[in-house]
Amino acid sequence: MTETSSPPAAARAASTGDRSATLYRLLRQTGVLAALVLLIIVSSFLNDRFLSVPNLMNVLRQVSIVGILAVGMTFVILTKGIDLSVGSILGVSVVLFAGLLETQSMAVAIPLGILAAMALGLVNGLGVAFAGIPPFIMTLGMLSFARGLAFIYTGGTPIPILNENFYDLGNGYTFGVPNPTLILIATLLVSGVVLALTPFGRSVYSIGSNEDASRLSGVPVGLYKTIVYVISGGVAGIAGLVYASQLSVGTPIAGQAYELDAIAAVVVGGTSLFGGKGSVAGTFIGTLIIGVLANILNLTGVDPFVQQLFKGALIVVAVFIMARSSRA
Amino acid sequence: MKSSIATTALLVAFGAASGAAAQDTLPISGKTCDQLLEQYAGLPFTDILPLEAGPVTVDGSEEEIVVGFSQTGFNHPWRISMLEAAQAEACRHPNVSMIVLDGNVDVAKQNNDVRDLLARGVDAVLLSPVESAALIPASRAVMDQGIPLIVMDRDVPTDKTLFIGQSNVTMGEKVAQKMADDLDGSGNIVVITGLQGSSPAVDRDQGMKNVLENYPDIEVLAVGDGEWIREPAVPIMEDFLTAYEDIDAVFSHAEESSWGAQLAIARANRCEDGILHYTFDGSNAGFKSVRDGTFRADGNYTPFIGDIGMRAALYTLTGREIPGAEAYSQPGQQLALPDSPTVVAENAEEWIGRGWGDFEPPLDPCK
Repeated sequence: MTETSSPPAAARAASTGDRSATLYRLLRQTGVLAALVLLIIVSSFLNDRFLSVPNLMNVLRQVSIVGILAVGMTFVILTKGIDLSVGSILGVSVVLFAGLLETQSMAVAIPLGILAAMALGLVNGLGVAFAGIPPFIMTLGMLSFARGLAFIYTGGTPIPILNENFYDLGNGYTFGVPNPTLILIATLLVSGVVLALTPFGRSVYSIGSNEDASRLSGVPVGLYKTIVYVISGGVAGIAGLVYASQLSVGTPIAGQAYELDAIAAVVVGGTSLFGGKGSVAGTFIGTLIIGVLANILNLTGVDPFVQQLFKGALIVVAVFIMARSSRA
Repeated sequence: MKSSIATTALLVAFGAASGAAAQDTLPISGKTCDQLLEQYAGLPFTDILPLEAGPVTVDGSEEEIVVGFSQTGFNHPWRISMLEAAQAEACRHPNVSMIVLDGNVDVAKQNNDVRDLLARGVDAVLLSPVESAALIPASRAVMDQGIPLIVMDRDVPTDKTLFIGQSNVTMGEKVAQKMADDLDGSGNIVVITGLQGSSPAVDRDQGMKNVLENYPDIEVLAVGDGEWIREPAVPIMEDFLTAYEDIDAVFSHAEESSWGAQLAIARANRCEDGILHYTFDGSNAGFKSVRDGTFRADGNYTPFIGDIGMRAALYTLTGREIPGAEAYSQPGQQLALPDSPTVVAENAEEWIGRGWGDFEPPLDPCK
């Protein structure tokens, strides 16, 4: 517990919209934003195609899957939780989309795949909120359990998706923007509104800042924590939809280790692992930072071994910059 | 197994998990002996170490023989196909059964798995190692107990009864040679590797380098890690296409990554570039992609060595000599397998049905 501000301060800020705390949050976010802008400037000098529209569209599409996962993860981390199972839940939804599309229409397959993901999220939520299992343990269990389901469902062999409309969903454009990017933006907007403007959203912050105080002030903590994990599961299902429709394959290993990329995006985006502080806007910026870095390393032909060093260093440096700016 | 309703599907999944033992389906593959025996007829190497169906007699007795199989992991259908071949051989002999353990692609787990097999008193061990060097201690433990150790696919640099495997290096050379010929010895290529650091990725890369040494005008523009699967290959190839205007070929270590690269090419509206794909894995879907012109060559790396491994174990237990076993550069003996020909347009039709997996290739987005 080495946070620089005391949780009650953040709780007060979240519930009252205290002006100094708003400024505080803004600074945290501008720190992250500054890192992104700096990365973009450096990248544009390193490769003259970096700033081309097709490349920027590529980046926006490339980050969509992890970006969507990270939105759900933001809810969970704001409550001081963690969801290690999102990659596996994504895997379950991916194989379900593939399996169901062999016999069913998209109108049936898509809702069912997402509902299944929400159901797994519900199990996480009930375990955390009502059975008192620590989020790390509960979702670690689900990570393995859900992956097992995906393997059993497919028998270990990828299911090809031959539905052309489904392919178009993942690879087409609407208003000149790749569909996966639009799905990411829609997920961000809805989540941003829910977090900022609804009583539920404000309670997510207060639960993360001080769960006992929230309970005493009448917040239905158990219910809201459960909902947060259902959201994370459902959002993983949406990310699974993007995965399956882009790649036209239901592979049981889909999404392995994506939970770590999602957590990295959330943390780089300025959301505190100690709960109560952060935003989906920050998460989006964090997602972009990681995505732009991967893009420029590929564009400049950096060796894949070395790329891992950059990614690791970036996470640490971004969080360091953020911590500095929040003290300013 | 694919139910029409998601919730039912999940219930079915739970049912399969708990009910597997109750029915006669074998672990992991989920197939019955009847299904596996039907597949057995189509296996490519049943004439190597041939063995009559029926009970296996050791020292005049038909006692139960238990063969342990420690597999790298079952995260890839190739690995399941190898197991199925071994299970099919076991099914031919009523007194032979198997204990199958899943190494989860983790050397530490696999070392423990092998010791667990010893603790359970198996009569022979089939081992397909995650990584060569790391399985030395476990291999020694098996040999120290005087139990036959048959190593498959990836070798272990320590004593063993027999190693059976094809060479990823020579296979890499063959596919790279085909590429060099198609390019007339000059051009720009990008490489999408298998999971970096894994032995097949290292070996296939080495094979390519061996050939490209002779072709100074073939330039490797960039290398990316496709991790054997489709998803990572897409953004990597998109970025390569952005960075390089002139790409003649993609040398990928896995069919899945090649399909991903083709998707990226279509999205970038670069189908007209006629970028050629050279790949590996040897699945029936891959052969179909060769036939359909999506791939130029597919390195034919067969998983159907599981049955040979099982027969080698049974040969050893019954005291029969293994014909063709010979000393080689590593401790122990090896059984050299005939190199499967690289699958190209001319022989694709002939090989479809003799590869692994019964799934279809994805739609080619450039067609």
